[in-house]
Amino acid sequence: MHRYPVMKESDLPPGSRKLVHVAGVEIGLFNVAGKVHAYRNVCPHGGAPVCLGKITGTTLPSRVYEYDYGLDGCILRCPWHGWEFDLRTGEHLVDPTTRLKKIPVESGGDAAASLENLERFPVESEGGLLCVVLPGGKAGGPS
Amino acid sequence: MLENTPAITARPGLIDTDVHNAFANVREELRPYLSRAWQAYADYHGILMPGTGYNSSVGVQREDARTPSGAMAGSDPDFMITDHLDRFGIDFAILTGSHVLGISVHTDPDWGNAIATAYNRNLAERWLGRSPRFRGSIVVNHSDPEAAAREIRRCAPDKRFVQVLMASGSSRLFGQRFFHPIFEAASEYNLPVAVHPGTEGAGTAGAPTPAGRPTRYFEWHNIVPLNFMGHINSLVCEGAFEKFPQLRFVAVEGGLAWLPQLMWRMDKNYKALRSEVPWLRKLPSQYIRDHVFVTTQPVEEPEKSSHFLQILEMINAPGNIMYSSDYPHWDFDNPRMTLQFLPKEWKQRIFHDNAAALYGLAARSA
Repeated sequence: MHRYPVMKESDLPPGSRKLVHVAGVEIGLFNVAGKVHAYRNVCPHGGAPVCLGKITGTTLPSRVYEYDYGLDGCILRCPWHGWEFDLRTGEHLVDPTTRLKKIPVESGGDAAASLENLERFPVESEGGLLCVVLPGGKAGGPS
Repeated sequence: MLENTPAITARPGLIDTDVHNAFANVREELRPYLSRAWQAYADYHGILMPGTGYNSSVGVQREDARTPSGAMAGSDPDFMITDHLDRFGIDFAILTGSHVLGISVHTDPDWGNAIATAYNRNLAERWLGRSPRFRGSIVVNHSDPEAAAREIRRCAPDKRFVQVLMASGSSRLFGQRFFHPIFEAASEYNLPVAVHPGTEGAGTAGAPTPAGRPTRYFEWHNIVPLNFMGHINSLVCEGAFEKFPQLRFVAVEGGLAWLPQLMWRMDKNYKALRSEVPWLRKLPSQYIRDHVFVTTQPVEEPEKSSHFLQILEMINAPGNIMYSSDYPHWDFDNPRMTLQFLPKEWKQRIFHDNAAALYGLAARSA
Protein backbone atom coordinates (compact mmCIF):
# COMPACT_ATOMS: atom_id res chain seq x y z
CA MET A 1 0.00 0.00 0.00
CA HIS A 2 1.18 3.48 -0.77
CA ARG A 3 -0.06 6.85 0.26
CA TYR A 4 -0.21 9.41 -2.49
CA PRO A 5 -0.71 13.03 -1.49
CA VAL A 6 -3.12 14.56 -3.99
CA MET A 7 -4.24 17.95 -2.77
CA LYS A 8 -4.54 20.23 0.17
CA GLU A 9 -7.57 19.67 2.35
CA SER A 10 -8.53 23.28 1.82
CA ASP A 11 -8.80 22.64 -1.92
CA LEU A 12 -11.79 20.36 -1.36
CA PRO A 13 -14.36 22.31 0.64
CA PRO A 14 -17.72 20.71 1.56
CA GLY A 15 -19.94 20.15 -1.51
CA SER A 16 -17.03 20.09 -3.94
CA ARG A 17 -15.47 17.41 -6.11
CA LYS A 18 -12.08 16.99 -7.76
CA LEU A 19 -10.76 14.43 -10.18
CA VAL A 20 -7.14 13.28 -9.84
CA HIS A 21 -4.89 10.86 -11.72
CA VAL A 22 -2.74 8.77 -9.42
CA ALA A 23 -0.45 5.96 -10.57
CA GLY A 24 -2.52 5.53 -13.72
CA VAL A 25 -5.82 5.47 -11.85
CA GLU A 26 -8.52 8.13 -12.21
CA ILE A 27 -10.05 8.94 -8.86
CA GLY A 28 -12.87 11.27 -7.91
CA LEU A 29 -12.70 12.93 -4.48
CA PHE A 30 -15.92 14.24 -2.97
CA ASN A 31 -16.41 16.28 0.16
CA VAL A 32 -19.89 15.43 1.45
CA ALA A 33 -20.75 17.61 4.42
CA GLY A 34 -17.17 17.72 5.64
CA LYS A 35 -16.28 14.08 5.08
CA VAL A 36 -14.09 13.15 2.12
CA HIS A 37 -14.84 10.09 -0.02
CA ALA A 38 -12.82 8.82 -2.97
CA TYR A 39 -13.95 6.49 -5.76
CA ARG A 40 -12.50 5.11 -8.95
CA ASN A 41 -13.83 6.95 -11.96
CA VAL A 42 -15.35 3.82 -13.53
CA CYS A 43 -19.02 2.92 -13.21
CA PRO A 44 -19.39 -0.74 -12.19
CA HIS A 45 -22.33 -1.05 -14.59
CA GLY A 46 -21.18 0.20 -18.00
CA GLY A 47 -17.71 1.62 -17.48
CA ALA A 48 -18.74 5.28 -17.63
CA PRO A 49 -16.68 8.08 -16.05
CA VAL A 50 -19.08 8.01 -13.13
CA CYS A 51 -17.28 10.65 -11.07
CA LEU A 52 -18.20 13.29 -13.66
CA GLY A 53 -21.90 12.80 -12.97
CA LYS A 54 -24.25 15.25 -11.31
CA ILE A 55 -24.07 15.58 -7.55
CA THR A 56 -27.65 15.89 -6.50
CA GLY A 57 -30.43 14.71 -4.21
CA THR A 58 -33.24 12.35 -5.04
CA THR A 59 -36.75 11.20 -4.26
CA LEU A 60 -36.70 9.15 -1.06
CA PRO A 61 -38.64 5.91 -0.68
CA SER A 62 -42.23 7.00 -0.10
CA ARG A 63 -45.85 5.93 -0.22
CA VAL A 64 -47.58 5.66 -3.60
CA TYR A 65 -48.00 9.05 -5.29
CA GLU A 66 -46.01 10.86 -2.62
CA TYR A 67 -42.78 12.65 -3.52
CA ASP A 68 -40.29 13.31 -0.78
CA TYR A 69 -37.01 14.89 -1.89
CA GLY A 70 -33.89 14.47 0.17
CA LEU A 71 -30.24 13.42 0.40
CA ASP A 72 -29.28 16.65 -1.32
CA GLY A 73 -25.58 16.57 -2.16
CA CYS A 74 -25.29 12.87 -1.29
CA ILE A 75 -26.22 11.33 -4.63
CA LEU A 76 -23.85 10.89 -7.56
CA ARG A 77 -25.78 10.26 -10.76
CA CYS A 78 -23.82 8.44 -13.49
CA PRO A 79 -23.55 10.55 -16.66
CA TRP A 80 -24.56 7.64 -18.92
CA HIS A 81 -27.43 5.57 -17.56
CA GLY A 82 -28.32 7.78 -14.64
CA TRP A 83 -27.71 5.14 -11.95
CA GLU A 84 -27.83 6.78 -8.53
CA PHE A 85 -25.02 6.10 -6.07
CA ASP A 86 -24.92 7.24 -2.44
CA LEU A 87 -21.66 9.15 -2.16
CA ARG A 88 -21.37 8.29 1.54
CA THR A 89 -21.22 4.53 0.90
CA GLY A 90 -20.67 4.12 -2.85
CA GLU A 91 -23.78 1.93 -3.01
CA HIS A 92 -26.23 1.91 -5.91
CA LEU A 93 -29.67 2.90 -4.59
CA VAL A 94 -31.49 0.06 -6.38
CA ASP A 95 -28.99 -2.72 -5.76
CA PRO A 96 -26.62 -1.94 -2.88
CA THR A 97 -24.42 -4.90 -3.81
CA THR A 98 -23.39 -2.84 -6.85
CA ARG A 99 -20.89 -0.36 -5.50
CA LEU A 100 -18.46 2.25 -6.66
CA LYS A 101 -14.88 1.18 -6.07
CA LYS A 102 -13.93 2.94 -2.87
CA ILE A 103 -10.40 4.26 -2.48
CA PRO A 104 -9.17 4.81 1.06
CA VAL A 105 -8.47 8.45 1.70
CA GLU A 106 -6.57 9.86 4.63
CA SER A 107 -5.80 13.32 5.74
CA GLY A 108 -2.65 14.43 7.38
CA GLY A 109 0.93 15.14 6.51
CA ASP A 110 2.73 18.36 6.21
CA ALA A 111 1.97 20.32 3.08
CA ALA A 112 5.30 22.04 2.79
CA ALA A 113 7.31 18.86 3.15
CA SER A 114 5.25 16.55 0.92
CA LEU A 115 4.38 18.93 -1.86
CA GLU A 116 7.95 19.82 -2.67
CA ASN A 117 8.04 16.84 -5.02
CA LEU A 118 4.75 17.61 -6.75
CA GLU A 119 5.06 19.79 -9.77
CA ARG A 120 1.39 20.36 -10.30
CA PHE A 121 0.62 21.98 -6.98
CA PRO A 122 2.09 25.21 -5.70
CA VAL A 123 3.98 24.70 -2.48
CA GLU A 124 2.37 26.35 0.45
CA SER A 125 3.26 26.02 4.02
CA GLU A 126 -0.19 25.94 5.54
CA GLY A 127 -2.88 23.27 5.78
CA GLY A 128 -2.88 19.49 5.78
CA LEU A 129 -2.90 17.18 2.79
CA LEU A 130 -5.40 14.65 1.45
CA CYS A 131 -3.76 11.36 0.53
CA VAL A 132 -5.24 8.42 -1.35
CA VAL A 133 -4.06 4.92 -0.58
CA LEU A 134 -3.53 2.47 -3.41
CA PRO A 135 -2.22 -1.09 -3.34
CA GLY A 136 1.21 -1.88 -4.78
CA GLY A 137 3.15 0.45 -7.04
CA LYS A 138 5.76 3.01 -6.17
CA ALA A 139 4.95 5.91 -3.98
CA GLY A 140 4.84 9.17 -5.86
CA GLY A 141 2.78 12.17 -6.73
CA PRO A 142 -0.08 12.58 -9.14
CA SER A 143 0.82 11.70 -12.72
CA MET B 1 -11.25 16.50 -46.12
CA LEU B 2 -11.16 12.75 -45.82
CA GLU B 3 -9.10 11.04 -43.22
CA ASN B 4 -6.90 8.10 -44.05
CA THR B 5 -8.26 4.60 -44.13
CA PRO B 6 -7.63 2.94 -40.76
CA ALA B 7 -4.54 0.79 -40.60
CA ILE B 8 -4.94 -2.93 -41.05
CA THR B 9 -4.78 -4.80 -37.78
CA ALA B 10 -5.64 -8.24 -36.57
CA ARG B 11 -8.38 -7.13 -34.22
CA PRO B 12 -11.96 -8.03 -35.13
CA GLY B 13 -13.89 -5.17 -36.69
CA LEU B 14 -16.52 -3.14 -34.89
CA ILE B 15 -19.63 -1.63 -36.48
CA ASP B 16 -21.97 0.55 -34.43
CA THR B 17 -25.47 0.51 -35.96
CA ASP B 18 -27.06 3.38 -34.01
CA VAL B 19 -25.05 6.59 -33.65
CA HIS B 20 -26.81 9.92 -33.33
CA ASN B 21 -25.42 12.82 -35.27
CA ALA B 22 -27.07 15.99 -34.00
CA PHE B 23 -27.42 19.70 -34.54
CA ALA B 24 -25.90 22.47 -32.45
CA ASN B 25 -28.53 24.76 -34.01
CA VAL B 26 -31.03 22.88 -36.13
CA ARG B 27 -32.58 25.95 -37.74
CA GLU B 28 -29.29 27.45 -38.85
CA GLU B 29 -27.97 24.13 -40.12
CA LEU B 30 -31.05 23.08 -42.10
CA ARG B 31 -32.05 26.54 -43.32
CA PRO B 32 -29.72 26.58 -46.35
CA TYR B 33 -31.38 23.42 -47.64
CA LEU B 34 -34.96 24.72 -47.39
CA SER B 35 -36.90 26.53 -50.11
CA ARG B 36 -37.59 30.22 -49.53
CA ALA B 37 -41.14 29.47 -48.38
CA TRP B 38 -40.00 26.95 -45.78
CA GLN B 39 -37.14 29.20 -44.72
CA ALA B 40 -39.72 31.87 -43.91
CA TYR B 41 -41.75 29.29 -42.00
CA ALA B 42 -38.69 28.11 -40.06
CA ASP B 43 -37.61 31.69 -39.34
CA TYR B 44 -40.95 32.31 -37.73
CA HIS B 45 -41.67 28.98 -36.02
CA GLY B 46 -38.30 27.30 -35.68
CA ILE B 47 -37.96 23.64 -36.60
CA LEU B 48 -40.28 22.15 -34.05
CA MET B 49 -41.25 18.49 -33.87
CA PRO B 50 -44.25 17.00 -32.09
CA GLY B 51 -43.21 15.84 -28.62
CA THR B 52 -44.32 12.83 -26.64
CA GLY B 53 -44.59 14.80 -23.41
CA TYR B 54 -42.30 12.26 -21.73
CA ASN B 55 -39.07 13.63 -20.26
CA SER B 56 -36.23 11.44 -19.07
CA SER B 57 -35.18 12.28 -15.53
CA VAL B 58 -31.56 11.92 -16.60
CA GLY B 59 -31.91 13.85 -19.86
CA VAL B 60 -31.49 12.28 -23.28
CA GLN B 61 -27.90 13.31 -23.99
CA ARG B 62 -24.95 11.72 -22.24
CA GLU B 63 -23.64 14.49 -20.00
CA ASP B 64 -20.02 13.72 -20.74
CA ALA B 65 -20.49 13.86 -24.52
CA ARG B 66 -20.99 17.59 -25.02
CA THR B 67 -18.58 18.96 -27.59
CA PRO B 68 -15.47 20.82 -26.37
CA SER B 69 -17.24 24.11 -27.09
CA GLY B 70 -20.16 23.03 -24.93
CA ALA B 71 -22.54 22.40 -27.84
CA MET B 72 -25.11 19.60 -28.12
CA ALA B 73 -23.67 16.10 -27.83
CA GLY B 74 -23.25 14.55 -31.26
CA SER B 75 -23.22 17.87 -33.11
CA ASP B 76 -19.53 17.95 -34.04
CA PRO B 77 -18.27 15.29 -36.51
CA ASP B 78 -14.64 15.76 -35.49
CA PHE B 79 -15.41 15.33 -31.81
CA MET B 80 -17.55 12.27 -32.52
CA ILE B 81 -14.58 10.70 -34.31
CA THR B 82 -12.27 11.18 -31.34
CA ASP B 83 -14.78 10.75 -28.52
CA HIS B 84 -16.48 7.66 -29.93
CA LEU B 85 -15.03 6.13 -33.12
CA ASP B 86 -11.36 6.38 -32.21
CA ARG B 87 -11.88 5.68 -28.51
CA PHE B 88 -13.53 2.33 -29.18
CA GLY B 89 -11.95 1.44 -32.53
CA ILE B 90 -15.20 1.64 -34.49
CA ASP B 91 -14.78 0.96 -38.20
CA PHE B 92 -18.21 2.20 -39.27
CA ALA B 93 -20.92 4.19 -37.54
CA ILE B 94 -24.42 4.04 -38.99
CA LEU B 95 -25.74 7.56 -38.40
CA THR B 96 -29.34 7.73 -37.27
CA GLY B 97 -29.80 11.46 -36.78
CA SER B 98 -31.48 13.56 -34.14
CA HIS B 99 -34.48 15.82 -33.88
CA VAL B 100 -36.03 15.03 -37.27
CA LEU B 101 -37.81 11.66 -36.98
CA GLY B 102 -40.88 13.53 -35.73
CA ILE B 103 -41.57 14.66 -39.32
CA SER B 104 -43.54 11.44 -39.80
CA VAL B 105 -45.97 12.29 -37.01
CA HIS B 106 -46.26 15.99 -37.84
CA THR B 107 -49.71 17.06 -39.06
CA ASP B 108 -48.26 18.72 -42.17
CA PRO B 109 -46.73 16.23 -44.62
CA ASP B 110 -45.32 18.99 -46.82
CA TRP B 111 -43.30 20.37 -43.92
CA GLY B 112 -42.19 16.84 -43.11
CA ASN B 113 -41.05 16.21 -46.68
CA ALA B 114 -39.15 19.51 -46.81
CA ILE B 115 -37.30 18.72 -43.59
CA ALA B 116 -36.48 15.17 -44.76
CA THR B 117 -34.78 16.47 -47.89
CA ALA B 118 -32.96 19.25 -46.02
CA TYR B 119 -31.75 16.81 -43.38
CA ASN B 120 -30.46 14.29 -45.93
CA ARG B 121 -28.62 16.98 -47.91
CA ASN B 122 -27.03 18.34 -44.75
CA LEU B 123 -26.06 14.82 -43.69
CA ALA B 124 -24.36 14.07 -47.00
CA GLU B 125 -22.33 17.27 -46.95
CA ARG B 126 -21.51 17.75 -43.29
CA TRP B 127 -21.09 14.15 -42.13
CA LEU B 128 -20.70 11.64 -44.95
CA GLY B 129 -18.12 13.87 -46.57
CA ARG B 130 -16.17 14.12 -43.35
CA SER B 131 -15.15 10.48 -42.88
CA PRO B 132 -15.68 7.22 -44.76
CA ARG B 133 -16.42 5.67 -41.37
CA PHE B 134 -19.71 7.59 -41.24
CA ARG B 135 -22.54 5.89 -43.15
CA GLY B 136 -25.89 7.56 -43.54
CA SER B 137 -29.56 6.73 -43.19
CA ILE B 138 -31.99 8.32 -45.65
CA VAL B 139 -34.56 9.88 -43.33
CA VAL B 140 -38.08 9.79 -44.80
CA ASN B 141 -41.52 11.02 -43.81
CA HIS B 142 -43.65 7.88 -43.66
CA SER B 143 -46.92 9.85 -43.49
CA ASP B 144 -46.48 10.56 -47.22
CA PRO B 145 -45.14 7.31 -48.72
CA GLU B 146 -45.03 8.54 -52.33
CA ALA B 147 -42.87 11.49 -51.30
CA ALA B 148 -40.78 9.20 -49.13
CA ALA B 149 -40.17 6.96 -52.14
CA ARG B 150 -39.06 9.98 -54.19
CA GLU B 151 -36.63 10.97 -51.45
CA ILE B 152 -35.23 7.42 -51.36
CA ARG B 153 -34.69 7.48 -55.12
CA ARG B 154 -33.07 10.92 -54.92
CA CYS B 155 -30.56 9.86 -52.24
CA ALA B 156 -29.94 6.17 -52.93
CA PRO B 157 -27.50 6.59 -55.84
CA ASP B 158 -25.10 8.02 -53.24
CA LYS B 159 -23.75 4.77 -51.84
CA ARG B 160 -22.71 6.38 -48.58
CA PHE B 161 -26.38 6.04 -47.63
CA VAL B 162 -26.85 2.46 -46.45
CA GLN B 163 -30.47 2.36 -45.25
CA VAL B 164 -33.80 4.16 -45.10
CA LEU B 165 -34.81 5.40 -41.65
CA MET B 166 -38.16 6.49 -40.28
CA ALA B 167 -39.98 6.97 -37.01
CA SER B 168 -41.51 3.88 -35.43
CA GLY B 169 -44.31 6.09 -34.09
CA SER B 170 -47.19 5.90 -36.54
CA SER B 171 -50.96 6.00 -36.85
CA ARG B 172 -50.89 2.78 -38.88
CA LEU B 173 -48.98 -0.50 -38.83
CA PHE B 174 -46.14 -0.66 -41.33
CA GLY B 175 -47.16 -3.81 -43.16
CA GLN B 176 -50.24 -2.10 -44.57
CA ARG B 177 -50.23 -1.29 -48.29
CA PHE B 178 -50.33 2.44 -47.56
CA PHE B 179 -46.58 2.13 -46.89
CA HIS B 180 -45.66 -0.13 -49.80
CA PRO B 181 -44.27 2.67 -52.01
CA ILE B 182 -41.50 3.07 -49.40
CA PHE B 183 -40.64 -0.63 -49.52
CA GLU B 184 -40.76 -0.66 -53.31
CA ALA B 185 -38.25 2.18 -53.59
CA ALA B 186 -35.98 0.73 -50.91
CA SER B 187 -36.06 -2.66 -52.64
CA GLU B 188 -35.02 -1.10 -55.93
CA TYR B 189 -31.79 -0.04 -54.28
CA ASN B 190 -31.54 -3.03 -51.96
CA LEU B 191 -31.64 -0.72 -48.95
CA PRO B 192 -32.90 -1.96 -45.58
CA VAL B 193 -35.72 0.05 -44.00
CA ALA B 194 -35.03 0.88 -40.36
CA VAL B 195 -37.30 2.30 -37.71
CA HIS B 196 -36.21 4.10 -34.56
CA PRO B 197 -38.26 4.84 -31.43
CA GLY B 198 -38.89 8.20 -29.83
CA THR B 199 -42.17 9.27 -31.41
CA GLU B 200 -44.44 6.71 -29.75
CA GLY B 201 -47.40 8.80 -28.66
CA ALA B 202 -46.18 12.02 -30.31
CA GLY B 203 -48.18 14.09 -32.79
CA THR B 204 -50.32 11.96 -35.10
CA ALA B 205 -48.88 8.66 -33.80
CA GLY B 206 -51.09 6.26 -31.92
CA ALA B 207 -50.85 6.02 -28.14
CA PRO B 208 -47.77 4.11 -26.96
CA THR B 209 -49.98 1.22 -25.85
CA PRO B 210 -53.39 0.12 -27.13
CA ALA B 211 -54.87 0.95 -23.73
CA GLY B 212 -53.47 4.44 -23.74
CA ARG B 213 -50.60 6.50 -22.51
CA PRO B 214 -48.07 5.51 -19.89
CA THR B 215 -47.74 8.05 -17.08
CA ARG B 216 -43.98 8.65 -17.00
CA TYR B 217 -40.89 8.38 -19.22
CA PHE B 218 -39.72 5.25 -17.37
CA GLU B 219 -43.00 3.51 -18.13
CA TRP B 220 -43.01 4.79 -21.72
CA HIS B 221 -39.44 3.59 -22.34
CA ASN B 222 -40.17 0.13 -20.90
CA ILE B 223 -42.94 -0.53 -23.38
CA VAL B 224 -41.35 0.67 -26.65
CA PRO B 225 -40.84 -2.91 -27.89
CA LEU B 226 -44.62 -3.33 -27.94
CA ASN B 227 -44.75 -0.99 -30.90
CA PHE B 228 -41.94 -2.88 -32.65
CA MET B 229 -43.83 -6.13 -32.13
CA GLY B 230 -46.90 -4.56 -33.71
CA HIS B 231 -45.01 -3.43 -36.81
CA ILE B 232 -43.14 -6.70 -37.32
CA ASN B 233 -46.33 -8.70 -36.83
CA SER B 234 -48.00 -6.48 -39.44
CA LEU B 235 -45.16 -6.71 -41.97
CA VAL B 236 -45.23 -10.50 -41.83
CA CYS B 237 -49.01 -10.93 -41.86
CA GLU B 238 -49.67 -8.39 -44.61
CA GLY B 239 -47.26 -10.27 -46.84
CA ALA B 240 -44.85 -7.35 -47.23
CA PHE B 241 -41.92 -9.78 -47.38
CA GLU B 242 -43.67 -11.84 -50.08
CA LYS B 243 -44.46 -8.77 -52.14
CA PHE B 244 -40.96 -7.32 -51.61
CA PRO B 245 -38.61 -10.29 -51.27
CA GLN B 246 -35.59 -7.96 -51.08
CA LEU B 247 -37.00 -6.04 -48.16
CA ARG B 248 -35.02 -6.08 -44.91
CA PHE B 249 -36.53 -4.36 -41.87
CA VAL B 250 -34.31 -3.11 -39.05
CA ALA B 251 -35.77 -2.53 -35.59
CA VAL B 252 -33.32 -0.09 -34.00
CA GLU B 253 -33.11 0.45 -30.25
CA GLY B 254 -35.72 -2.00 -29.10
CA GLY B 255 -33.52 -4.75 -27.68
CA LEU B 256 -34.42 -8.31 -28.66
CA ALA B 257 -35.62 -10.48 -25.76
CA TRP B 258 -39.25 -10.06 -26.86
CA LEU B 259 -38.68 -11.89 -30.15
CA PRO B 260 -39.18 -15.50 -28.97
CA GLN B 261 -42.65 -14.77 -27.62
CA LEU B 262 -43.69 -13.01 -30.84
CA MET B 263 -42.30 -15.78 -33.05
CA TRP B 264 -43.90 -18.58 -31.06
CA ARG B 265 -47.32 -16.98 -30.86
CA MET B 266 -47.31 -16.15 -34.57
CA ASP B 267 -46.27 -19.68 -35.52
CA LYS B 268 -48.89 -21.26 -33.29
CA ASN B 269 -51.68 -19.08 -34.66
CA TYR B 270 -50.54 -19.60 -38.25
CA LYS B 271 -51.14 -23.32 -37.88
CA ALA B 272 -54.81 -22.61 -37.20
CA LEU B 273 -55.51 -19.34 -39.02
CA ARG B 274 -53.37 -19.68 -42.17
CA SER B 275 -56.45 -19.26 -44.35
CA GLU B 276 -56.62 -15.55 -43.45
CA VAL B 277 -53.19 -14.96 -44.97
CA PRO B 278 -53.01 -17.35 -47.93
CA TRP B 279 -50.09 -15.37 -49.39
CA LEU B 280 -47.73 -16.56 -46.68
CA ARG B 281 -45.63 -19.55 -47.70
CA LYS B 282 -43.67 -20.29 -44.57
CA LEU B 283 -43.91 -19.99 -40.83
CA PRO B 284 -44.09 -16.38 -39.60
CA SER B 285 -40.94 -16.85 -37.54
CA GLN B 286 -39.10 -17.76 -40.72
CA TYR B 287 -40.04 -14.44 -42.32
CA ILE B 288 -38.64 -12.75 -39.25
CA ARG B 289 -35.37 -14.71 -39.55
CA ASP B 290 -35.15 -13.97 -43.26
CA HIS B 291 -36.07 -10.27 -43.20
CA VAL B 292 -35.97 -8.67 -39.75
CA PHE B 293 -32.85 -7.34 -38.05
CA VAL B 294 -32.52 -5.90 -34.58
CA THR B 295 -29.90 -3.71 -32.94
CA THR B 296 -28.88 -4.67 -29.44
CA GLN B 297 -29.11 -1.47 -27.41
CA PRO B 298 -30.61 -1.03 -24.86
CA VAL B 299 -29.50 -4.60 -24.40
CA GLU B 300 -31.42 -6.65 -21.88
CA GLU B 301 -29.34 -7.36 -18.76
CA PRO B 302 -30.67 -10.49 -17.05
CA GLU B 303 -29.08 -11.45 -13.75
CA LYS B 304 -27.60 -14.55 -15.36
CA SER B 305 -25.89 -13.93 -18.68
CA SER B 306 -26.57 -17.56 -19.56
CA HIS B 307 -30.23 -16.57 -19.90
CA PHE B 308 -29.32 -14.09 -22.62
CA LEU B 309 -27.58 -16.89 -24.51
CA GLN B 310 -30.73 -18.98 -24.19
CA ILE B 311 -32.75 -16.14 -25.72
CA LEU B 312 -30.34 -16.03 -28.66
CA GLU B 313 -30.82 -19.75 -29.09
CA MET B 314 -34.61 -19.36 -29.01
CA ILE B 315 -34.55 -16.62 -31.64
CA ASN B 316 -32.22 -18.75 -33.74
CA ALA B 317 -31.31 -15.91 -36.06
CA PRO B 318 -27.55 -15.57 -35.63
CA GLY B 319 -27.20 -13.30 -38.66
CA ASN B 320 -29.83 -10.76 -37.65
CA ILE B 321 -28.53 -9.20 -34.44
CA MET B 322 -26.24 -6.18 -34.63
CA TYR B 323 -24.41 -4.26 -31.93
CA SER B 324 -25.42 -0.64 -31.37
CA SER B 325 -24.32 1.93 -28.80
CA ASP B 326 -26.86 4.76 -29.19
CA TYR B 327 -24.02 7.25 -28.69
CA PRO B 328 -24.34 9.94 -27.34
CA HIS B 329 -27.60 9.17 -25.58
CA TRP B 330 -28.09 8.39 -21.91
CA ASP B 331 -28.68 4.65 -22.35
CA PHE B 332 -25.42 4.15 -24.29
CA ASP B 333 -24.09 0.56 -24.36
CA ASN B 334 -20.29 0.52 -24.06
CA PRO B 335 -18.83 -1.90 -26.65
CA ARG B 336 -16.07 -2.92 -24.26
CA MET B 337 -18.54 -4.03 -21.58
CA THR B 338 -21.75 -4.95 -23.41
CA LEU B 339 -22.25 -8.65 -24.24
CA GLN B 340 -18.64 -9.49 -23.38
CA PHE B 341 -19.79 -12.86 -22.06
CA LEU B 342 -20.75 -14.02 -25.56
CA PRO B 343 -18.79 -16.85 -27.17
CA LYS B 344 -16.25 -15.64 -29.70
CA GLU B 345 -18.28 -16.52 -32.81
CA TRP B 346 -21.34 -14.68 -31.52
CA LYS B 347 -19.24 -11.63 -30.72
CA GLN B 348 -17.74 -11.57 -34.18
CA ARG B 349 -21.18 -11.72 -35.77
CA ILE B 350 -22.95 -9.26 -33.51
CA PHE B 351 -20.19 -6.67 -33.27
CA HIS B 352 -19.19 -6.76 -36.92
CA ASP B 353 -20.11 -9.42 -39.45
CA ASN B 354 -23.91 -9.10 -39.42
CA ALA B 355 -23.86 -5.34 -39.97
CA ALA B 356 -21.09 -5.66 -42.55
CA ALA B 357 -23.24 -8.09 -44.53
CA LEU B 358 -26.50 -6.16 -44.17
CA TYR B 359 -25.03 -2.77 -45.07
CA GLY B 360 -22.47 -4.01 -47.60
CA LEU B 361 -19.51 -2.65 -45.65
CA ALA B 362 -16.15 -4.07 -46.59
CA ALA B 363 -14.37 -5.88 -43.80
CA ARG B 364 -11.72 -3.50 -42.54
CA SER B 365 -8.85 -5.91 -43.02
CA ALA B 366 -9.96 -7.12 -46.46
